[in-house]
Amino acid sequence: MEPVEQQVRSDSLASGRSSEDSATIAPDSPVRTERRRKSRAWETPPAPVPPPRLDDYKAIVGAAEIDELKFLARELKGKKVKMVNSTAVGGGVAEMLNQLVPLLRELEVQTNWDVITGGNDFFEVTKAFHNALQGSDFNLTQHARDIFLMHNEQNRNRLEFSEDFIVIHDPQPAALIRARKESPQRWIWRCHIDLSSPNPDVWGFLRPFIEQYDAAIFSSQSFARQLPIPQYLFYPCIDPLSEKNKDIDDTFVQHVCDEFGIDRSRPIVTQVSRFDRAKDPVGVVQAFKQARKYVDAQLVLAGGGASDDPEGAAVLKEVKEAVGEDKDIIILDLPPWCALEINALQRASTIIVQKSIREGFGLTVTEALWKGKPTIAGAVGGIPNQIIHKLTGALVHSVDGCAYQIRYLLTHPDFATQLGQNGHEHVKENFLMSTNVRRWLLLLRILLAGGAK
Amino acid sequence: MTTVATPVPTPVRTPVKPFYFNTAAHLLRITRQKANTLSEFLEALRECPDGSIFQHSFRTLEEHHFIREGFSNDFAHWAVSACNEPSLAEGLASVDVREFTSVAELRARFVEIVENFLHRSPSAATRLAKETFYFCSSETVVIPTSFVARSLREFAEGLRGVSVHCIHHHFIEARLRLRLMSNDFSQWLYEDLGFTDAARQLNRIDIYTLTLEDVRNQIIRIVERTLI
Repeated sequence: MEPVEQQVRSDSLASGRSSEDSATIAPDSPVRTERRRKSRAWETPPAPVPPPRLDDYKAIVGAAEIDELKFLARELKGKKVKMVNSTAVGGGVAEMLNQLVPLLRELEVQTNWDVITGGNDFFEVTKAFHNALQGSDFNLTQHARDIFLMHNEQNRNRLEFSEDFIVIHDPQPAALIRARKESPQRWIWRCHIDLSSPNPDVWGFLRPFIEQYDAAIFSSQSFARQLPIPQYLFYPCIDPLSEKNKDIDDTFVQHVCDEFGIDRSRPIVTQVSRFDRAKDPVGVVQAFKQARKYVDAQLVLAGGGASDDPEGAAVLKEVKEAVGEDKDIIILDLPPWCALEINALQRASTIIVQKSIREGFGLTVTEALWKGKPTIAGAVGGIPNQIIHKLTGALVHSVDGCAYQIRYLLTHPDFATQLGQNGHEHVKENFLMSTNVRRWLLLLRILLAGGAK
Repeated sequence: MTTVATPVPTPVRTPVKPFYFNTAAHLLRITRQKANTLSEFLEALRECPDGSIFQHSFRTLEEHHFIREGFSNDFAHWAVSACNEPSLAEGLASVDVREFTSVAELRARFVEIVENFLHRSPSAATRLAKETFYFCSSETVVIPTSFVARSLREFAEGLRGVSVHCIHHHFIEARLRLRLMSNDFSQWLYEDLGFTDAARQLNRIDIYTLTLEDVRNQIIRIVERTLI
């Protein structure tokens, strides 16, 4: 059998290691970024799985829950809904719509999904808007406004808006509200980003459009703005039937651990996230090293983004420097289509960490909780919605806090197990796709009944 | 010599009216109120919509129905986790929603607890909390289920088949609708079947130390004992 070390070093692409990294990492460094014996990670992406059906969720949430969705949908039978966003593939919104739309259709709510079109100039402007709305600096020029409005106008002319409900996702198509007719039609703006500290110029430009909607939806209370329209809270969700979250056989979990050289007989602490400073992977390494003075464990940092993102590569380099010669820290730079392997790594873990210092909602936390894993996470973004400290997980604010929680949970397995069980139930109640369908049906019914004023 | 008591068979009774199991679906609405200090919290408690008081007390129990201990309502949780005020948290956590048949009374109780605390500890009023408390409110849609009980046996079957949301709707939220210190299940057992003891026993189930599944199982046990 080919030695793992040798194979890894021969594949700098798979390792996410740039030539610069190669120069800074000692040739006999024990830090390995892709340590599989067969590099399945670099096969082509698998074919997409067909969308799940409503009854598939019965085994997970119970028949009564699914029956309730059917009762909720009765009054919406035949109503038409149009979802509009800016991309058909890639990104969390498209992924969510790919699952939501068929489920609503199965409930006989006639749901269509349209994607706006635009040139590079439009998407450059909307990308800048997206960042500015989340707090980045941006000089809003008249040219940028004109490009935004021109492409929205073109899409308004191209698309038809005859449905009972129009749902516009995110800021890119927000100005389509100009297509609103004098009719009982309801318009909903679903904001998937954090608007808590927006660039005032960009928000000042968009706000008059948003105020014309009948309702707005945010992913966390802290992401919302003061608006004269009703605002609802829809938590992001995970699909328990997806590759990343479905139940998998333990033999596959073992196989993945064997491939990556992870010893399941010893505690495993894992963080799954991109090599991004907002996820503080260096802080995780520091916390782990502190904790390991008292407890035996391995640390797995499983992520991606180092091979296609210059900043990701720089962060990976910093992580490797922080790791040094530590053989118990395993770094895996995986491509995006390794969902099944991520699933296996999460299931193999004793504890999962998400020590973010900035975060959106933090769906990796949701995934960890769903798998019943005791989870330690930074108290930022939407994470406190998921982790109730000492009840569904542990919230931390520092490297020291993270180190302490790793030690504590590894030495108090009964408490850790209880946290994991509570976390699983919390996700089942609040953060699954079936709950998301319930929220949509509820909102449509409330708006249909003339509520939400 | 032991004497075996022969159970007195309960006569099969037909309820005056069937029990229709309904359920409630709730949607979270973000309100304008938020608090970064206890004085802001007190002001918001006084001004927030009724739906917020309902959401952060009655509804949060449903959302966290799987937790057996350490969680009573969102106000108490914030007082300890964000304000580090355990005595205030204990006071807020001791509020048992079953003792209230209106949101106005419940709000008044929470306000009184915070006022008393700030009177004793005025310096705590303006101390910045670690996290903001965002007041949400709940919009409710009541929907039917496929379960109807025309007998006690069908009632037990319904209890087994419905969701925990349905249990919460009939057993916990009901007192706000009924304006009685009771619940829909006890009312039906008492008024439509005449099972006074079973109705009373149901009202003694501790919803704060049990999960909603535990509550469901206890209700079923009491009903099954009545069936024997």
